[in-house]
Amino acid sequence: MLRIENLRKVFPGGVTAVDDISLTVPDGEFLVIIGLSGSGKSTLLRCINRLVEPTSGRIWLDDVELTALSPGQLREARKRIGMIFQQFNLVKRSSVMTNVLSGRLGSISPWASVIGRFPPKEYERAYANLERVGIPEKANQRADTLSGGQQQRVAIARALMQDPSLMLADEPVASLDPATSHSVMKYLEEINRQDGITVICNLHFLSLARRYATRVIALKAGQIVFDGLPEEIDEERFRSIYGEDAVEVEIR
Amino acid sequence: MVQSDVVQPASTAPRMPDPVTYRRAGPGAFITSWRNFLFLIIGLAALAYGWKVTQVDFVGLVVNLPKSERIFVSLLQPDVWVMTLADAPLQVGTANDQSSGAQVGDWTLTVSPSGVTAGQQLTIALSGVRPNTQFNLYLVDNRGNTTPIRVNRPTDAAEGREPVKVDAAGNYSLSFAMPASVAAGEYQVRAELPPGHAAWRGPWRFSETFETALVKMIETIFLALMGTFFALVVSIPLSFLGARNLMQGSAVGWAIYSAVRTIFNVLRSIETLILAVVMAVVVGLGPFAGVMAIVIHSIGAMGKLYSESIESIDPGPIEAITATGANRLQVVLFAVLPQVVPQFLSFTMYRWDINVRLSTVIGLVGGGGIGYILIQYINLSQWNQAATALWMIGIVVITMDYASAIIRERLV
Repeated sequence: MLRIENLRKVFPGGVTAVDDISLTVPDGEFLVIIGLSGSGKSTLLRCINRLVEPTSGRIWLDDVELTALSPGQLREARKRIGMIFQQFNLVKRSSVMTNVLSGRLGSISPWASVIGRFPPKEYERAYANLERVGIPEKANQRADTLSGGQQQRVAIARALMQDPSLMLADEPVASLDPATSHSVMKYLEEINRQDGITVICNLHFLSLARRYATRVIALKAGQIVFDGLPEEIDEERFRSIYGEDAVEVEIR
Repeated sequence: MVQSDVVQPASTAPRMPDPVTYRRAGPGAFITSWRNFLFLIIGLAALAYGWKVTQVDFVGLVVNLPKSERIFVSLLQPDVWVMTLADAPLQVGTANDQSSGAQVGDWTLTVSPSGVTAGQQLTIALSGVRPNTQFNLYLVDNRGNTTPIRVNRPTDAAEGREPVKVDAAGNYSLSFAMPASVAAGEYQVRAELPPGHAAWRGPWRFSETFETALVKMIETIFLALMGTFFALVVSIPLSFLGARNLMQGSAVGWAIYSAVRTIFNVLRSIETLILAVVMAVVVGLGPFAGVMAIVIHSIGAMGKLYSESIESIDPGPIEAITATGANRLQVVLFAVLPQVVPQFLSFTMYRWDINVRLSTVIGLVGGGGIGYILIQYINLSQWNQAATALWMIGIVVITMDYASAIIRERLV
């Protein structure tokens, strides 16, 4: 269970990205965060694994207070939190296999990683994870030879290498076409249903949220303006989240 | 902005533009401002003073140019090879009454007698040579050591010596008594064509100048290579400390970043020639002084380029690898390094290329390499020899430039 209490993030320029958010995410939930660009979705997600350092507030993952950890303890905690990104963030010049294996860096001995040598069983796991996202044949290709959807699947495989209990997805399909978006979302749904990994996913499109989420929260100016089931978001709610002039665009 | 002394009427009606404003448009507008006029005067004064202190003398340049004709002609006749006309055997210590000879093409070299004792008269003759061709005569012992008998030197004309050459009929004859200083043994009398008169006939070999220059050129390339290598070893680790994106986030990091960048800038700003002079004092004249000069300058230059290429990488993979729980070293190895290696290789090639060019001039101030012999040839007015070095530098620099451009294109 993830618990966030009174989280605030004020950037050095004075912009308040996350404004006093409190939130509890039970295990196994598929939580989708929606909201306009700049509403604080990405910052909220990055505060959880402290890629962005919160200004104040506390975050617990199960009984570990993430916000109180030393750098060494934080690295331990991060191993349990997978993350995928809008731009996939693969190392483009490295092979797909190397990219997937790098998800395991926190768990192998530092010396092995210096010489770039992973234990054979890690290779097997990496291959199994690539099989799971449907692209085992791409293992030895350079990451930048893959299409956007394939790259995001590699990123999912990399996150799965961590054996995470929580998966953070920061607009995972915003750079993809509608059909590919669904295939990536289905993999997230699958790891949520089958492995019981809690997923917190930022999305632009309400239609995707309605299709995949078990719970939706909406952010506006760093605050939660909606928290409920996806089907509860009607026309009126939609306008209050996205503004009076917004028209819903669907991805089918 | 046009300044006006006239107090504007306190009227809200739109004012017509001052007609003067229009007159100040166009190319003439510049000079009508007193301030601009002052700048113009100052600029002209600076140029006039510069003309005086740098002793500009274009008339002298044009008038004196023909006097340097010999230099320009020599530069087009590099000392690259010599033609060996012929080798005729000669025995010193045992007299005989025969003669020996050698024929190459139409040319004949005759030595008579072919055996002499010390003090005995000896005649060396050439015939059938192209009229007025200059040549050199050497005595070669059986170990290959050459002693000049009659040779042409670049300084002959200046010092009033007649050139050694065949007459208008293509013949030459020299009689002299064998000096007692020549030890007894088997010798060859060798006649060879000096550079600049080479006709493609007969066996030839590279001249000593060419061989010396080649050895020094190779030394220069390796001087640049060693300088680049040592600079690489130092600047790559430093460049990570001088990359803003890796060092931001803490005061200590910022301090290290600033310090490293300052070091890079200071090292980069010291001219290699000055460094070579200083290093020649520290480690002595020679190639190592040149290596050290290149190392010091290149650390600054390469470090800055490496740091900047680290700063320009995609931050996404850093974020992603950090999020997996990897430590800082692992982030650098897995997210930063793969992104910068091609640029690093490319910059290193480029720097080696630059350093070869620098090494050629570093020799001028005692840093070893080809510049070291070039300055000697120039000081001795041996222009054919200087030309050999200059041509070699030109060819090597252009080749390196071209090769490094191709390799860099493939890397990135």
